[in-house]
Amino acid sequence: MQKVMHRANAASAEQFKQSFREEAREVLVDLEAALLELNENRADMELVGRVFRALHTIKGSGSMFGFEQLAAFTHNLETAFDLVRNGRLQIGSELIDLTLAALDQIRAMLEEGAGTPAADPAACAEILAKVRQLAGMPLSEASGPEVSAPPNVKDAADVTDAGAGDGQACEWQLRFAPGPEMMLNGANPLLLLKELRQLGGLSVRASMAAVPPIGELDPERCYVTWDMVLATPAGRDAIRDVFIFVADSCELTIEPETSAAQGASQAGREAADVIARALEEPRAGSGGRRSYDKADHATSLRVPAAKLDQFVDLVGELVTVQARLSELAARSDDPDVAVVSEEIERLTSSLRESSMNIRMLPIRATFEKFRRLVHDLARDLGKDVELTMEGADTELDKTVIDQLSDPLMHLIRNSMDHGIESAATRAARGKRPTAAIHLSARHSGASVLIGVSDDGGGIDKEAVRNRAIEKGIVAADAALTESETFALIFRPGFSTAKTVTDVSGRGVGMDVVRQRVDALRGSIDVASKAGQGTQVLLRLPLTLAIIDGLLVAVGDAFFVLPLANTLECIELTREDIERANGKQVASVRGMLIPYIGLRRHFGMRSAPPAIEQIMVVETGEGRYGFVVDQVLGNCQTVIKNLGRFYRHVQVVSGATILGNGTVALILDPERLAQEAVRVTLERSRGRPAANARRK
Amino acid sequence: MERESQSERESALAIIVEQREDASAIRLEGAIDIGLAAELKRTLLDALKADKTVLVALDANADLDVTAIQLLWAAGREAKASGVEIRLDGEVPAAVSVGLKEAGFERFPVPVQAGRCKR
Repeated sequence: MQKVMHRANAASAEQFKQSFREEAREVLVDLEAALLELNENRADMELVGRVFRALHTIKGSGSMFGFEQLAAFTHNLETAFDLVRNGRLQIGSELIDLTLAALDQIRAMLEEGAGTPAADPAACAEILAKVRQLAGMPLSEASGPEVSAPPNVKDAADVTDAGAGDGQACEWQLRFAPGPEMMLNGANPLLLLKELRQLGGLSVRASMAAVPPIGELDPERCYVTWDMVLATPAGRDAIRDVFIFVADSCELTIEPETSAAQGASQAGREAADVIARALEEPRAGSGGRRSYDKADHATSLRVPAAKLDQFVDLVGELVTVQARLSELAARSDDPDVAVVSEEIERLTSSLRESSMNIRMLPIRATFEKFRRLVHDLARDLGKDVELTMEGADTELDKTVIDQLSDPLMHLIRNSMDHGIESAATRAARGKRPTAAIHLSARHSGASVLIGVSDDGGGIDKEAVRNRAIEKGIVAADAALTESETFALIFRPGFSTAKTVTDVSGRGVGMDVVRQRVDALRGSIDVASKAGQGTQVLLRLPLTLAIIDGLLVAVGDAFFVLPLANTLECIELTREDIERANGKQVASVRGMLIPYIGLRRHFGMRSAPPAIEQIMVVETGEGRYGFVVDQVLGNCQTVIKNLGRFYRHVQVVSGATILGNGTVALILDPERLAQEAVRVTLERSRGRPAANARRK
Repeated sequence: MERESQSERESALAIIVEQREDASAIRLEGAIDIGLAAELKRTLLDALKADKTVLVALDANADLDVTAIQLLWAAGREAKASGVEIRLDGEVPAAVSVGLKEAGFERFPVPVQAGRCKR
């Protein structure tokens, strides 16, 4: 006896699950947003429908991809929202909060095994018990997801002619034709039919007309098509939602049953003859259905972030090699080489721009997820807070967005806990009862400005100063500017809170904000008015990978200045220096611009040329000039990290390799200007420039 | 000839081919799905070429997905065209029978002897 064995490929199964996880994460984000909107507009039945459909999708698709526990848990919530939809249960804050809590558990179930905390069975059971109590469902089944019946399991008796419901059911004609890739993507059409049965009575007729001869048949493709009649009170959207995860890989038509199509309702009776008839039906060509040979109309595709990072890295390498080619071409006398080199330079530039654009994402998703945070904190702190947003469509690099969540979360928590006053205090101060937290985003040159502001009590400068003196951070007689005082709140362990709450007060959050923003080579600006509120503005680079720069030389060293910050280049002669009487300022069309001599700033010993160049750069501190020997020209710069050893060197944001193989340091004009201001201030106060060693 | 590793035995998913004197007998065990579809196709083609009779048997725990159903159906059509007899050897397990009905297939994709479907 010969035995042939195969097992389903475990890696493929995990890939399908991963694909479901990614889709489900998006559905959960929408579900959360819909729940929070519903909290504000409880009579909005469209929002109720949106919540119901999201729950239904998670349940159905979860079951299809093997997340039975998740599906069973979600089933109860779906039932509750079905009751709301049908006017048999009133929406209230309890149901919304329970569903939000359930959503957290669903997230945990979804990510289980990925190093994240698993769902809490006790919490799940408690949520379900409360939901079932609210919805008037029997409590006996509310014992948690591990014992709940999977929603898709129905008795065979239910299958043939389940009742259509409450008499308001309509009949829908459906035609479902899986595409060539559908099964390879992990979807199973038979499970979709089961899922469809959850909506009502279903007559199904399978057609084998497109199945090719066995020799030509692609065994991993589904050639069967289905014609169905569904009697259900559910609408077209709910039916379509069953197929939501395969929408791009199938043909689906959903039409209300018409009198002309009455014959189709006899599908069940005719089904017995289907296969026999199919034997006689002409086949649609040897390759099966032709309809799938047409162009793919998908407008977007999902790519793992790691693949994208690899792609951008490779583009970065290409940019470096192209720079070398340009250098070689410039030295060559061959005009053909020059032409090819220029063409490659042009293409590389376009490729670099395109690759960077792929990584740009709107910040909306990050902003939106804070609605939930504000909702939960407002409830826990007993405050009425409204979150508003501006510029949520502002795009920035995915790497920056990924690292922005934590700082924003800490800033919002801090505002909610310390900034926004209690209802009584607000009333006493004549403020409107609903406090506001405003998130904003906008581009500014090569940076993006992210703002978190509130209309709370503002930062108590005196309290900050006293606390800093108490902790020995500043001397008792220290003269601090407003911005220096506000900068103290970002010190590790610094907190003026008298009590530590669950929300904040340990002096950790603001330190995290500073660290993360530093790591992103960004800066923080705080503005606050007593009694009126606080605004924290984060200035972050748009991208962390490749930039357009200006290559400059000082002595035998090369530096790159980001082009987006650079405004113009002017000459600096010996006479100009003498005319300024020792002040490092240049007059540009009547405007005095302070400048920093990079040779002096970096302690370089070479002699300057007779005529130097001032690169005028826009920074958060205003316009500054950086004096260099020579401007060599534009360059596309792949930013290479300098590594941990140089992490404290803040005026340099990275390094790049030039066409001739030498290394150029990429300067951070913001940091350079900030450091220059600090050094100047310290000199004017008679203190040594403490951080000169960091250069 | 046994070529079965421990992990494969545990998985209990298999296409077992027995070469009889005048027929090929193909027994399907466990979930016969897309992961086994290529193997099932090769097995059916080999059997259709080699013998005048092909017997298909389903284990009690057999579960067929749509790829298996359409392969068996295509094999039935190929057999009819080339004068080979293909039929179910044994009974259709109740779960398979219900599954086929749910999916809109009113009978097993290869001929079954009368009264051999469990209800």
